Amino acid sequence: MDLPDSPTTRRALLGGIGTILAGGGVVYGASRLDSASSPPPDVPLYSSSETTGFGIDLQGHPVMGESNASVDVYYWSDYQCPFCRRFEENTLPDLIENHIETGSIRFVFIEYPYLGEASMTAAVMDRCVWRTVREEAPARYWEWHSAVFDAQSSANSEWASRSNLLDITRDVDGIDADAVDACMRERRDDIEASIETDVQQARQYGIQGSPAFIIYNRQTNAAGQMVGAQPYERFDEAISKVRNA
Amino acid sequence: MAYPFTSTARTVGTVAVAAVTYCLLVLSSFPTYTMQMLGADLAYADDALLALTANTYETIGALGLGLIVVYAIATGIALTAAVGRVRYVGVRGARGLSSVLPGLVASGCASCGAGVLGLLGFVGALATLPFHGNLLRLGGLVLLLGYLSRIGDPRQCSIPAASESE
Repeated sequence: MDLPDSPTTRRALLGGIGTILAGGGVVYGASRLDSASSPPPDVPLYSSSETTGFGIDLQGHPVMGESNASVDVYYWSDYQCPFCRRFEENTLPDLIENHIETGSIRFVFIEYPYLGEASMTAAVMDRCVWRTVREEAPARYWEWHSAVFDAQSSANSEWASRSNLLDITRDVDGIDADAVDACMRERRDDIEASIETDVQQARQYGIQGSPAFIIYNRQTNAAGQMVGAQPYERFDEAISKVRNA
Repeated sequence: MAYPFTSTARTVGTVAVAAVTYCLLVLSSFPTYTMQMLGADLAYADDALLALTANTYETIGALGLGLIVVYAIATGIALTAAVGRVRYVGVRGARGLSSVLPGLVASGCASCGAGVLGLLGFVGALATLPFHGNLLRLGGLVLLLGYLSRIGDPRQCSIPAASESE
């Protein structure tokens, strides 16, 4: 093959090859960021009817961690959001190990569906699964929650359809998928209304995307907001800051 | 389009502008996250860039990420050509600039999209657009390439073609 004679053509060619290599590297790196899902935490999940000092009604939301922890972390997420999945894979396991299992924080899961109709379907099913397991087997919720994030694919594609989410539910031991299905059919409108209220409340706090967090000191009422899949060190700093505020 | 590659300095400048443009476009896809990360420590810049590149890829796919890369390269070419035009013919003679800058702004908005819409409160709006906003990005890129085609080589004067009736 003859090499191009013109220096301009050679530079353009080298620039093009360099760009393709750099772009390919970035895409390859991006595609290799997935890691294994979080292990089950050694701390129970439970429900609560409390409304926190910050104004979050815990009714219907899974809560993880000591009920008397001095700091609350409210976590808004969407099952279709890749950045939420990244947080769950890279940061949440460390938060569980170092802050939730040690009784340092209480962690509250709140649905924030905003990426399309399938996001709302997944959010409603989340509430139905929690209703089904919260009394007898609340730990099953974590397995279902992790399984759905593991199955995440392109937004609003088949993966988040009602039937596929029910198939995922059937694959999680200890969850009555028929009861979840019945809940979806009979209570969807009520649950959607409740989720919409949560979304509006989040927007009042200035939350515009997910994952989003508010870290709240239950004694002093000091609070701070974080957004995105930030590394564990950032959460560690923020929790210490709010605790000492 | 060949002018930015006619010397080593111009090539390096073009690649540098393209790289900076790519970083800005990707970081602007989640501006509050970027501000919090960089506000905490500039050393988080690479973490933020890698995380948002992954997020962009997973949200809008390889095509969307590719459009952003192509837009960044086109911006590098456009700015190098614009600087060359100012150098050769001066600011007064650089009429081409007036056609390039609006194109850069318009197509840049189309390319970053998500962050700007998020800041304006239209959260998740891009997800509801056709092909997750890739059609909008492609339109912005076509707009920029259209403007680029009007610049030409800044070292050469363009002579209007005489009409055939004359």
